Amino acid sequence: MNRILKKLFSNITSLMGIIILIFFIIIAIFAPAITPPLSDDPYQIPRMSWDINPQPPGSPMSDNMIEAYEFMEKEVKWEKAICGTAEGGYDIFYGLIWGTRTAFKIGIITVSISMLIGIILGSVSAYFGGWIDEILMRITDIFLSFPFLVAAMVLTTVLGRGLDKVMIALISFGWMGYARLIRGSILATKEETYVMAAKALGVNDTKIIWKHLLPNTIFPVMVQGSMNIGSMVITAAALSFLGVGAPVGYADWGQMVSFARNWIIGSPGNAGQYWYAVFYPGIFIVLFVLSWNLIGDTLRDILDPRLRGEL
Amino acid sequence: MEKKKKLLLEIKDLKTHFFTEEGIVKAVDGVDFKVYQGETLGIVGESGCGKSVTAFSIMRLLDYPGKTVGGEIFFKGETLLKKSDAEMRKIRGKEIAMIFQEPMTALNPVLTIGFQISEALRMHFDISKEEAIKKAIKLLTKVGIPIPEQRVNEYPHQLSGGMRQRAMIAMALSCDPTLLIADEPTTALDVTIQAQILELMKSLLRDFNGSLIMITHDLGVIAEIADRIAVMYAGKIVEYADKKTIFHNPSHPYTFGLLTSIPRLDMETKRLNVIPGIVPNPLHFPSGCKFNTRCKFATKKCQEKEPALIELAKEHLIRCWHADRVIEEAKKIF
Repeated sequence: MNRILKKLFSNITSLMGIIILIFFIIIAIFAPAITPPLSDDPYQIPRMSWDINPQPPGSPMSDNMIEAYEFMEKEVKWEKAICGTAEGGYDIFYGLIWGTRTAFKIGIITVSISMLIGIILGSVSAYFGGWIDEILMRITDIFLSFPFLVAAMVLTTVLGRGLDKVMIALISFGWMGYARLIRGSILATKEETYVMAAKALGVNDTKIIWKHLLPNTIFPVMVQGSMNIGSMVITAAALSFLGVGAPVGYADWGQMVSFARNWIIGSPGNAGQYWYAVFYPGIFIVLFVLSWNLIGDTLRDILDPRLRGEL
Repeated sequence: MEKKKKLLLEIKDLKTHFFTEEGIVKAVDGVDFKVYQGETLGIVGESGCGKSVTAFSIMRLLDYPGKTVGGEIFFKGETLLKKSDAEMRKIRGKEIAMIFQEPMTALNPVLTIGFQISEALRMHFDISKEEAIKKAIKLLTKVGIPIPEQRVNEYPHQLSGGMRQRAMIAMALSCDPTLLIADEPTTALDVTIQAQILELMKSLLRDFNGSLIMITHDLGVIAEIADRIAVMYAGKIVEYADKKTIFHNPSHPYTFGLLTSIPRLDMETKRLNVIPGIVPNPLHFPSGCKFNTRCKFATKKCQEKEPALIELAKEHLIRCWHADRVIEEAKKIF
């Protein structure tokens, strides 16, 4: 484990990934300090004005908004929209900061739950074999036969709007890769003599899978998982962009990009007029996904002995 | 004759077949033997004659496509073949334990030695992790591993081959089994280590008064450790007797062949004797006696009809039509 950490930090690409990731982690942790929420639901982006057009970075909060917040007995700690506002006066900077928490939530929760499902199904399938394997793998095949994005979109539409629904959809169609991966490695590992030796000592099946097989097979899945955290966030953003994700005003980068759809091209003669409406949430998504991919790539290099040149 | 010995394991006409795509492989096809309390049974035979499959059949560790299709296994008077998986799991490790051929692969590389020894203890007895580790240290001391307190926390790759085999033995003996099956425990080790491990096993056997089934193709090892010997050929027991009878009055041509192919100090021969040919493909066994293609005593009768396992003398079983001729030949040599 120490060796892995050492390598992660000594490699330039992964170091970049780690630095970006730490930046996001700090933002996520200190979100309430950076931008204190103005409503009861911190994930609700506060409005700086009632303007229909997006306002450029640095525009102040409108007087009637300040009055409104004072009326609601909320303390306004900042009066300028640092990154501008989106349509309807939604503060972009606030959305970016609290959207980091959303991104981590989506990425980590969806990946860890789908990984867990995949690991359980894949290992049971491989270890017991026979008709159990046949049934579980055919179910996996059925799920794999749906195009991921379309399936997730349909399911979210059926379940209704909201981030939790998006996550359910992503988990429902995101576990098959892990199941396949772990099944393959366990099929190979369960033929090892030490598994037979453990059985000969009377160790039960659960313990054999958990203590003997998984520690020997889980690393490829972890690598896959770390790479997928980024892509899960992208897909969630895509769902939001397509209008089936987080509701308007929710601090989610994808939702913010989606909401800025009408303003991607500015007014005639000034195409880049509203650049900030798309650019900031867009660049946050890119950096977030990039950091996970860099880390995942290096993890794969470290953990794959064939790439490491030791075999 | 000394006092009557307690019968621990009795195997009657065991048949374990593998159902492969090319056909049924009769890996074990008629194995009979008895193991008495405190005794050592040696099973000898060439590679691929079904020695290991017999061991796995006793432990009921074979998965599809292997299946025990016939015969009986009585352990302490109970039939093992009718036990449920959960009942078998309680027997494995606690009553019958096994030592494997390759100490390099039979230990899990990602778990510490201590964990792997204590695992069985915690599986079969209701003891805490700390107690189990303490017991593991004791076991490591018993099998002669220096600084066991340190070794329990080490991983298999930090141990040498001989050490690993000692750790394997500690694992197998952790729950004081009444029967230990050793599947070629010394094959993967070099000769000096082999001798040490054999010595260790002998002394441990005396301590725990258990029985041992020693599976090997090395007659030297058998001569060292066994009380009774079962000679296997092509999935069948061809001769079963006590050690003295096997080594001095072999009555089966295969046993005879094996014994004459050992280099001997007291005989002057230019060339070492060999048994011609190889073990026949289990998919296409010859008709009649399975050894007839390689046997120098073979007659037409051997090709036509397979001999049954008959009791030549007390506790001396043999599967051959021409035992009398073999005995005569053997008298000249041994």
